This record gives sequence, C-alpha cells and structure tokens, in this order.
Amino acid sequence: MLAAIYALIACGYVLVYRVSRVLNLAHGELMMLGAYALMLTAAQFTTYWPAAIAAAVGLSLLTGVLVYLFLMRKMTGEMVLAAVLTTVALGILLRGVMVLVWSAQQQYPAQALGVANTSIALPGGARISFFSALLILTTLLVYGALLSFLRFGRWGIRMRAAGQSPLLAAQRGINLHAVYALAWGLSTLTGALAGILIALDSGLDQTMAIIGLKAFPAALVGGLDSLVGALAGSLIVASAEVLLIHYVDPLLSEVVPFLVLIAMLVVRPWGLFGTREELDRV
Amino acid sequence: MSRRPRASGYFRTGYAQDLKLVETRTERWSLSAFLMALLAFPFFASPFQLDLANQVFLASIGALALMLLTGYAGQISLGHAGLLAAGAFTAGILFKEMNAPVWVTLPAATIAGALLGVVFGLPSLRLRGLYLAVSTLALHFLVVYLGGEYEARRGFSTGIVIDAPKLGGWTISGGRTWYFILGAFAGATLLLCLNLLRSGTGRAWAAIHAKETVAEALGIGVAAHKLLAFVISSALTALAGALFAYYRGFVSVEAFSLFLTIQYVAMIIIGGMGSLLGAILGAVFVTLFPYAIEAAIGALPGAQRYAGSLFAVNYAAFGVVMILFLVLEPLGLVGVWKRIQTYFLLWPFKHRPMPGSRR
Amino acid sequence: MSEPLLSVDKLEVVYQRAITAVQGITLSAQQGQIVGILGTNGAGKTTLLRAISGFHGTDDARVTEGTIRFKGRRIENIEPHRIARSGIALVPEREKVFPNLTVAENLLVPAAPGLVLAERKRQEAQVLQFFPKLEELHARTAGLLSGGERQMLAIAAALVAKPELLLVDELSLGLAPVVVEDLAARLVQIRRELGITVLLVEQSAAVALEIADYSYVLENGRIVLDGDRARLTNHPDIQEFYLGQSSGKRRSYRDVKQYRRSRRWYG
Repeated sequence: MLAAIYALIACGYVLVYRVSRVLNLAHGELMMLGAYALMLTAAQFTTYWPAAIAAAVGLSLLTGVLVYLFLMRKMTGEMVLAAVLTTVALGILLRGVMVLVWSAQQQYPAQALGVANTSIALPGGARISFFSALLILTTLLVYGALLSFLRFGRWGIRMRAAGQSPLLAAQRGINLHAVYALAWGLSTLTGALAGILIALDSGLDQTMAIIGLKAFPAALVGGLDSLVGALAGSLIVASAEVLLIHYVDPLLSEVVPFLVLIAMLVVRPWGLFGTREELDRV
Repeated sequence: MSRRPRASGYFRTGYAQDLKLVETRTERWSLSAFLMALLAFPFFASPFQLDLANQVFLASIGALALMLLTGYAGQISLGHAGLLAAGAFTAGILFKEMNAPVWVTLPAATIAGALLGVVFGLPSLRLRGLYLAVSTLALHFLVVYLGGEYEARRGFSTGIVIDAPKLGGWTISGGRTWYFILGAFAGATLLLCLNLLRSGTGRAWAAIHAKETVAEALGIGVAAHKLLAFVISSALTALAGALFAYYRGFVSVEAFSLFLTIQYVAMIIIGGMGSLLGAILGAVFVTLFPYAIEAAIGALPGAQRYAGSLFAVNYAAFGVVMILFLVLEPLGLVGVWKRIQTYFLLWPFKHRPMPGSRR
Repeated sequence: MSEPLLSVDKLEVVYQRAITAVQGITLSAQQGQIVGILGTNGAGKTTLLRAISGFHGTDDARVTEGTIRFKGRRIENIEPHRIARSGIALVPEREKVFPNLTVAENLLVPAAPGLVLAERKRQEAQVLQFFPKLEELHARTAGLLSGGERQMLAIAAALVAKPELLLVDELSLGLAPVVVEDLAARLVQIRRELGITVLLVEQSAAVALEIADYSYVLENGRIVLDGDRARLTNHPDIQEFYLGQSSGKRRSYRDVKQYRRSRRWYG
C-alpha cells in the first residue's frame, strides 16, 4: 500500500527529471494542490464522484503545464541549482496559498463526495479499503501506460531524446517547450492522482506534502531517470519503513526513507536502474 | 587626492598594497563611518530593533558559512538547518547534562560542527550537484531526528531551556550586550572569510568550483579542499547554532525545519551568489522580510481578518520573492547594486568597452 | 541565376552584447550545391552555422545586423525547432546522437511535418541505403557506436526529415582520414541522389576543397576569400596557410602572423 503511494508519487519526480533534468521539489505541494482541487470539484459534481475526480485530475494537468509555461520555462538554461530552488520557492508559495484558501484543518473529501470507503475482503483474510485498492490499481495502470508510452510512442521517444540532449532534439525539429510542458503536466497529473486517492482514503491536511517529500528518496533509490527504478525503489523504501516502524521505533517513520537514501548514495549514487553518466552531467 | 573613478583598473604596485583590505581613502572613511554607526546603534534602538539586529548578526554568520561552501567552493548543501541544530543541541545537551560553562560549550559546538562537516562532506567526494544536495538534505533529516529523539527520551518534549551564559562572574544578558557579542562574532566571521578567500585555499575552492577535473590536473587536492570547505562552513554554522541557542535561551527541534534551510539558501541567492557582501545583504533581507510583511499587512484595512493566517501569508510572499529573484535577478541584491554602480561609472555610455573588441 | 536556396546578407552576430564574432558576412548557396566554409579556430565558422540553425541563442548571442534567408523567408532569430521544421537539418560538431536511444530510435526522433508515415518510411529506407552499416546496427545503443558510425547516424538522422539544406559542422573532426574520405564520398553521393544542398564547415581545408563546389574562407569573423574549387586550390594563400604546401622556402612564424594581421585590417 505504502509502496503504491510512493510509486505513484515517485513517477512524477522521474518524469520531470528525466526530461528536463530538474528536480521538482514542489511535487509534494503540487500533489496536495490536486487533492484540494478535488474539494473544489466535489462541490460541483456532488452527484457523481468519478466525474469530480476526473475534473480534478484534468485541472492538475493544466496546472502542471501552466507551471512550466509561466515559471520553469524561464529557468531553462539556468543553473541546475537555480531551477531546483525555483521549485522549492514554488512549493513554499503553494503551501502558503493553500493554507490561506483552505485553512490548515483536516478535511475529508470522501464525505464531501458522499462515497463510503467500504473495505473489501481479500483472499487470505486481509482486508483493504476500497480507495486503497483503487490506489494500487491506479499505480499499476499509470506505470503500464507511462512505460509503454516512453518505449513505443513517438512523443515518448522524443521525450527521452529531449532529456538526453536538448540541443540536438531541438535541431531535430522538436519543440522543447512543448515536450517539457507535457512532462510537467503528466507529472503533476500523476501526483494529483496520488494526492486525491490518499485524501479520499485518509483525509487531507497540510502534512500531505511530507509524504510527497518522502517519496522522493524512493525515486532516487531506484535511479532518478528510470521508471522501473522508481517502482523498485518505492517497494524497497516502503518495506524498510514498515519493517523498521514495526520492529524498532515508530518515531523513525520520518527518517527511514532518508536513511535508505543515504545508504544508496554511498553505495550506488546513480540508483538501482539509473544511468551512470548522469552523475557527471549534473 | 585623485578623483578617478575607482573600478577602472588594477593599480596595485606592491604586495603590501595587495594585502590591504581597505584601499582608498574614501573607502576607509565610509567604512569607519559605518562602523561608528554600528557601534552607536544599540544606544538609540528600541529593544525590538535590537532583537532584529541580533537576529541579523546570527543569520549573517550562518549565511557567510553557507556562502563559503556554495557560493565559492560550489558545493550545494541543503543540510544547513541540520548543522545549526547540531550546534544548538551540542550546546544545549552539554549544558543540561554536565552543566558545562559557555567557554566549553561554544568550542565544543564548533568542533561538533567540524566533525559533522566531515560527515556531510564525505558524499561530496563521490557526488556532485543535485545528488550532493539531496544527500545533505537526507543528513539534515537524520540530525533533526536525533535531536528530536534526545528531547523525547530525556523528557524535554517542548525543548531544552538554557540559562544565560556566564563568563567568570559576568552574566551575558540583555539585548545590548548580546548586540556587541553577536556583532563581534559576525565581524570575526566576515574577516575570517575574507582572508580565507584570498589565500591559497580560497583560490583552490574557486578552481574546484569552476571545473573539478582541471583543478585536479593543476595539482589541487580536490578531495581535501572540498572536505575543508565543508568542515569550515559546518563549524561556523554550528557555532551560529550554539549562539542562537544561548541567545534564545531555548533549544527545540521545531526551530530547525527544512524551511530554515531554505531561508538560508534564499539568503545567499537573494543576496547574490559568490559574494560575501551578498551573504550579509541576504541575511538582512531574509531576516527582516517577515517583519516587513507583518507591518505591511498591519497597515492594510481589515488587518484583523488576516491576523490568523499571517504565517501563511508570509510563506506565500517569501515564495514569490524568491521566485522573482531567481527569475529576474539571478545575481541577487549585489547584482542590482553593481548595475547601479556601473550605470553611474559609465554614464553616459551604456556598455563597458570590451577589451579586444574591434570597433 | 535563380534565387539561391540560402542567402546570408551582411550578417553580424554579437555574443553577450559585447563580442562580435562574425561581421558583414555575405554568402549564398544554390540549390544542389556543396558549399564549403573554411577557417581556423575562432574564425567564426561555428557561430555562422549556429546563427543559421537558430542555435546562437543558447550562448547569449544575437544576430544584430543583416539577414538570413532560406527559400526567400527570413529565419534569423527564430526558434531552432521551427528552423529545423522549415527544412534545414544540422549535423552538429559534438553531441551528434542521443546516446541512450538505439540507432532505430534515433532515426525516429526527428520531426517531419508534412511527411505522412509512408513517405517517411520511404525516406528512411532511402537514407539507410547510403549507410548500409546502420541497418546492421539498428538495435545498438547509439552511445556505443564508434566515431565514424556516430557521424553516419548523425547524417542519416538529419536526412530522414527530408530537409532541403544540410548543415554539416566539422565532418572530419576526430575521425581517421580513411573514414573522412569515405564520408565525404557519401556526401557527394547523397547530394547527387537527393538533390540536396550542403553547407559544409571544415577546419580541414583539404577535405572541404575536395568536395565543395564553391568555398568561402573565414578569418576573424569576416570572409577574406571565396571562389570555386579551381580558384581556391590554386590560390597562393590557401596553398601556403591552409594546405601547407610550401611553394619554396618555408615561411617563418612572423610571416604567418603578418599575413593574418593584414587580413584582419584589409579583409
């Protein structure tokens, strides 16, 4: 379950990093924004909840594209650090605005939508809540779709090309801005999906951004430019977290992902499935 | 007395001149006037203003340390809050557990910082850029976790209270006393940084910043110098942390969030990368910014309505300012200052004549 | 004479608003010609090529004066991908291929507006005829190719979008003379069979003069000499300073310096 959450969030980091070499530290906040967008749309589509989710996801896609067009576009060609800090600043801005608009209190979009979070019995006696199951399913679907898109789709190949050598890609007639905007849009979309489903499952408040930040080690452990890696990394980080909380100390939950991260950086900095030369290029 | 504009060449003719920090008479005058103003300030300022000034001094030490590391040696660190926390906690724990006096805790905090600097710096030997930033970020979480753990285990869940430091029979307290002490520390840090940067170490850092492989090929011990940068920067930061603990009389992990790191990074960016003046300007700006926002909102009609969400407004406004600087003025406040300077120097021309331009 | 495919008129490119890299360059390329641009390091060759392909912006350079016309349309200072889509393809000096994509994927990347899928497939097949070796290597990751193979792939990838003008930056750079000769022969063949125009920028005067119909010599950002193959190969300055065939006694360093200086002032 935790692995699915991390994986769904982590692929957002990977998408943006892979294509534009920018680490989006505002991902957690963008994901939260997606969840709050659901609160907005929930008011509009009270009758039919999938429509509300779809609308919120659509809004997020748009947000991602807009973020690129109005902010990150100016940062292309700047130092990596500057670009990363811009995302940090964006995160701070978003967090402030979100508190202003929606207040810091915990909210339950599931209630607003009038959906019951029934639990489903699994074979083997375990039970899982409906939205958790939905989350796992979504993660699998998203990964399947993204992987095949990047592997076989013409735009997918172009996205990979732009990530490797933006100059050459432009010389080959690829509109870099379009590709980057697409990556940001998709990344925000997957993040929002995660945010929405978590919010439906367990409510929504300001701490959600921390989950976003914790998913980042998962992306890095797997290798920042590899989707398969993000999946594997999420599994590793999540199981390490669950095990350590269970057997050692519940307070550890905040640091475990980062402990795994440090271990990984010492042993194999480019991640499980990452490409090695990335390190020299950064 | 020459009335020549200053920035038009390299006129030094001897090593003695080269070693001087202050070059022209005007510079000496303005500098001493500025120092006088600094010295006189506490006798006119209100306690609130004094507190602000003290915070600026504290922030300056941290910002200078970070500037050494990031702005000059080119090593990105997102673990600054962790280091501040380490310094503060070293002082706090030593005080609580052994009742250690201030002349023990401050050096101890500095040494703890230096040791942590080695730890923070080790990843830099293998990692660069983004990955390095991330590893320091991870270490930040680790340090803060350990601090929190200590608080929880020892039952100081709200934080550690530290008594005002005593030196001999003299207790340091009151805004004015702190003003002079923190000011002296900040000034000493500035001098240390200035001198470090014009020594061989500083040049080695600059070389590493520009291109590591080439620096290595030129015979600079890249690994040693990187570590040194981390050690010096971390030691200074931890010292600032310990001073902060004493100044506030209180240590708690709550104070050392990721946001604090971001604030420090913002200081060197807003101030201007690669400039000590920038670090100080940035420290001033970032420290005073929340108060300015508060005042601005207070001046708005219907202030009461926003009072509850002041924190959020601050957050948002801070984000906006950072974005504006990053996008519009990557060179920071120093960049703005330089541009104004060049504008007047070159007036009525628009561009500096380029050496070697053919026209 | 019909209107040239590419014409550059009194072009001036300035880096960072301060350094003038090329100045008053006027040249043209007729449909189907191979045009050579010669010059030593820093002569402005690459700047010129970048200005044509729209890439000068990345180095904070701007075209401050003059025009570049392609098929009669002005293309200076517009975005690179638009230039590429209008029918100009570049074989860059470095970073020629996408190292983590396979050869086949590299050939899929170029955008080719106005080509339907069947046309594109046909074009790809035709391009691969020139480089049969790429067909064998199609599943290989491009980063593992040798220098010569990379150059082939770069040329092939530039050609799949069916451009009308091919810009080649340093065909010979870092390649063995045998390989260069082979590639040069292919270029001539490609020009003949596809009717394409080629602008070839070269440090190696021997290579350029061998295949170019018409060449320009750049020094310090200006054109100092131009002419067809016969004129240039027989020009004493070219023989002396670019081809290294000394007519009699070897000239001293000072003479070379003096020659360059005279070119700077009077060229």
